[in-house]
Parts: sequence; structure tokens; C-alpha cells
Amino acid sequence: MRIIARLDVKNNFVIKGINLEGLRKIGEVKNITEKYYKEKIDELLIMDSVASLYGRNNLFDFIKGISKEIFVPITLGGGIRTLFDIEKALNSGADKVSINSQALLEPKFLQKATQNFGESTIVVSIEAKKIAPKTWEPYKFCGRERTNINLNEWLNTIQDFGCGEILLTSIDKEGTEAGFDLSLLNSIYNKITKPLIISGGCGKLEDIKYIYENYKDTSVALASVLHYDILNIKKIKDLIN
Amino acid sequence: MNKKNYSLYGLPEEIKFCKKCVISNQRPNNVVEFKSKNNQKKGIQFSSDDSICDACKYNEKKKEIDWKEREIELIDLLSKHKKKSGYDCVVPGSGGKDSAFTAHILKYKYGMNPLTVTWAPHMYTDIGWQNFTNWMHVGGLDNILFTPNGKLHRTLTSLAFKNFLHPFQPFIIGQKIIGPLFASKFDIPLIFYGENQAEYGNPTDDNLNPKMDEKFFSKNNNEEIVLGGEPISKIMKDYNYKLNDFEPYMPPDIDELNKKNIEQRYLGYYLKWDSQECFYYAAKHTGFRPNSERTEGTYSKYAGIDDKIDNFHYYFTFIKFGIGRATHDASQEIRTDKITREEGVNLVKQFDAEFPKKYFNEFLEYVDISKENFFETVNKFRSPHLWTKINGEWNLNKKVFKS
Repeated sequence: MRIIARLDVKNNFVIKGINLEGLRKIGEVKNITEKYYKEKIDELLIMDSVASLYGRNNLFDFIKGISKEIFVPITLGGGIRTLFDIEKALNSGADKVSINSQALLEPKFLQKATQNFGESTIVVSIEAKKIAPKTWEPYKFCGRERTNINLNEWLNTIQDFGCGEILLTSIDKEGTEAGFDLSLLNSIYNKITKPLIISGGCGKLEDIKYIYENYKDTSVALASVLHYDILNIKKIKDLIN
Repeated sequence: MNKKNYSLYGLPEEIKFCKKCVISNQRPNNVVEFKSKNNQKKGIQFSSDDSICDACKYNEKKKEIDWKEREIELIDLLSKHKKKSGYDCVVPGSGGKDSAFTAHILKYKYGMNPLTVTWAPHMYTDIGWQNFTNWMHVGGLDNILFTPNGKLHRTLTSLAFKNFLHPFQPFIIGQKIIGPLFASKFDIPLIFYGENQAEYGNPTDDNLNPKMDEKFFSKNNNEEIVLGGEPISKIMKDYNYKLNDFEPYMPPDIDELNKKNIEQRYLGYYLKWDSQECFYYAAKHTGFRPNSERTEGTYSKYAGIDDKIDNFHYYFTFIKFGIGRATHDASQEIRTDKITREEGVNLVKQFDAEFPKKYFNEFLEYVDISKENFFETVNKFRSPHLWTKINGEWNLNKKVFKS
């Protein structure tokens, strides 16, 4: 299991919402990435989560400075819309890119992306929301707009078109610290053939332990528990080693 | 169509945008709704060089306020009202983020015993009802929900729509008088609202005073009362109502309120107000949840989500003043440093003009009007200085973004 710090970023600040809403500033990106790196985080996930909403992407120059001093894999996401964006992200020091809205708008973009840059470079990000009993839907534009696509069908599509990993964020649990969305995870776990990162809801050590013990090939992305100093990275790593 | 460049609402003919936020000088100030007979408004004030709006200036001033001092003022005020038994303040609200914050923090941080009172929305949304009940069930508060006679409320809403393109008016009236009404009934002399409307651009002098202007909630005599743009006597005759039916819309008597020493305060005067932080607080303490998708006409999920009519209210302010919901939301979030002006401009461009489709049929049914009549009515309220019809499509003459 990899322990991944998720940093939602807006204009040089790490922000943290609840249910993918809200722009509360946590601190400057540089300070926070350095802190988690020193505490031996496995990977960093840096997301300009409002990029698609605002129709921009400006993280490239920004992570250049970070990637020079931080030697863990960095996944960059938010507003990746073209092959050129992916190239720029990789040239800026990202190891992988995560794609959500653009994949939903044009699923074949994933095929082009994996053909050009290799599967292991492409993380598909899914923001899933429960819309009916046992039914989830992938949302776009930072959890703001419905797509009317069934989550199970979407998982088939992205795994057919190709991706290296799947980042699954539960909109219902995100920012709540109420535990990972296990009903969502259970509903899709058997359909996943790629490494999975589960995101949204972690509030205590036991939440991570449960994933570690029950779901093979699954990593966790953590935000609130790290940003608000609820858990520390060393304790998490002791738990799973 | 009259081609002359004029405002139907007496607002400035030359449209200007604030250089800090995205609001324009067409934003009307709050009017006393139950006296409102015509559609004439006074607009938001801009600085003398016309570049910065009052709301932005106030938000700058807020940064200099000694909030520690203000909190001491609050504690002082509360200590005068605190009771060992019974309720010691009334908090009117919907259980949205702002009233949820106000009532909860007064009870659980400052040790008050608030009675929350709610004037029901026209049509509850599912998320609105869930947040409202969570306010009490999760937040741990007492509430009285007042639901007015639906037949009359619909008549008034329909009149306000046809006469003013302002279907929210009956709700606003109810929302303003429900606090004093119950305060008077239960002899609770302190009413607490959340943020002062001056945060959004009513005259900033309002913010120097923690009390709410009495003109907003009390009447001197019944003859002044006009609802939906028509005197009560006319509505009674036209639609066969009795005077008694109008009881919920009768503002409490000013003399009685004065006799009972009932005062209204804004918590936003005493505590530094940040709407988005109220959302975080309410999410943590009162089980408040944002909507499942962004609200039509804007990008946000956490504000004004409890009434199906709300989306139309903002769409109509877009028609009348060129100010839609995204403009309103973005301006507020720029002032509190959540987003930049550039981002705000982009959001206005994307969402401000969006038509509220989701509850359109329900709205038509509620105000009892056909689709054709709806658009006919809407188009009557477009000021010539704001709108021009080009190739059958209405276009705003001046926008905050480049088209």
C-alpha cells in the first residue's frame, strides 16, 4: 500500500473542501510538500481541482520548483485537456498525470494519451457520487456537474481505453473525516483490474488499516488528516509495515 | 420597443463594474418589501471615482476592525440577556450555512438558549429539507417552522412575479417578520441574524450599527401594507380572501416591539463574517451538506439551496439588473479572498446567463402561468439600457467579460 498525500491546489495555496466544495486555504504548496516529503510520504498527488471549472491549467511552472527538491513520484492533475498538456506536465517534473473532466468529455483522449505516453503515466481520476441506492455516477468539473454515465460502465470504458491507475474519490465522503466510502469501494472492487487509489473520508488510523487488510493493490490518498495534523505519516507507515 | 437608453428601475443609465469584484452599479439596495408599490430602486453605491463598490470597501474596512473588541461587546450584550430558564434569543433562519452557524455558535460557544424560527420556503428542495432537519437533529437546537397558507402564498408569489418579476418577495417579507413576530409572542427581547446585508452592498453605514433598521420589519399602520405590488384590499376583492388570511404577513406593531424592548442584532457585526467558513462550521456541527451538483446560474453548491424558487429569483435579477447568481457569488468570494477577480469574471461568463431548467415546470405550475406568458412577462422587465435584441436573441449591452 502506498500512502499518498493529496494536495488540492489553487493559486499557490493548498486548499481543502468538504464534499468537493469550499476553498479554505491550508498553507503554501511549497511548505506543505516539503513537510510531507520530509515525513517520508510515498507519493504526492497535486491537483488543481478547480482548473476545469475555471477553464485553465497553470500548475506546470509551479511544480517545476517543487519537483527539483522532492524525490517522490508526483502526479499532477486538474485541467489536463490535451496531449500537449501532458507533455508539459511531464517536462515540468510530474511523473504521472491524472485526468477526469477531459476523459468524460472525450473518452478516446485516454487512448491517445496512453499510446503517446504509456499506460503507467496516466491516472484516471473519478469523482463518484451516490445518486440512488447502490448506484454511483462519475461527476465532472470538481464534483459540480453530473454526466449521466453509470460508474460501472465508466470503469469498463477507462480500463478498455487504457490507464495505469484509478484514483477514486467519493464526493459524499470527501472532507468529512467519517471514514472511506466502503459501500462504493465494495461495489466496484471486483471490476477493477488496475492499481486503485481510494480517496475521501479518512479520519483515523483504523480507516487506513481496514483498507490495508481487506483490499489488495489499493492505496490511500489522504488530505484532511494530514493537513489538520490528525494523523502523522510515520504512525501510518508503522501501522502497515 | 422603446429604443431610448433608460433603466426601468431608476438605476444609473451608464453601466459600470466594480474594479475589485464583478458587481455592477445596477445592484439594487434592499427595499422595504411590504411597502413596495413600484419598481424604483436605489443602487449600490460606488466610490467617488466610480471604481470600487461599497461592499468591497466594507470588506476592506473589515480587515481593520478589532474583532477581539467586538467579541467582548458580544459577550457583554449576551450576558445582559442570558436566562437561566426559557429562551433568551430568537434566531430566524432556514438552517442554511449562515443561520446554522449563528444559532449553533450562540448556543454552544456563547452559552445562550436560542429558539430558532423558520419561515418555510415556497417549495423545499430535498437537500434543503435535509439540512433544515439536521439543523435541529444533528445541531441540537429547538425550532418552530412556520408554513403560511399555501393558496394565499401562491397568489402573492404569482402577483409579485407578474408585477415585479420578483416571486421571492412574499418569502422575503415572511423571513423578515418571523423573528420579531415570535420574539414578541414569547417575550424574548433579543433577535440574532447572521450577516448584515451591507456585506453585499447596502449602504455601509448599516455596518456601523449592529442593530437592524426597524423600517425593515415593523409597520406603523395596516394601510401601508402592499403585497406583490397590490394593496391587501384589492387582493381580497380580486381573489376572495379575508383580512384574517393575511395575518402572517402583518408586520408586528412598532409600538409593541418598542414596549417590549425587542432588538435585532447582526452576529456579523460582532464576529468576522465569512460565508464559506459558515459552510465549514455547519458541515461539522449541524450536519449541513452542499447540494449534489452546482446550482443553475452559478458554480457553487453551498449557498441558497433550500427553495426551488431561489434559482428563479437570481435568474430574474439577471434579467432586471444584469446581475445573475454567479455575479453575486463570485463578488462575495472575491471580497473574502476566495477567488481572484479574473476567476470571478470567468465564472460569470460561464454561468450567469444560464436558464434554471431544473424546476421550470414546477415554477410555472406554482405561479400558475403558461410557458408563453412566462417569457412574455420576463421580457417586459428587460431595461432598454441593459438589453438589445439581435437576430431574435437578447444580448446584454455591457458585460464584465469580453465576449
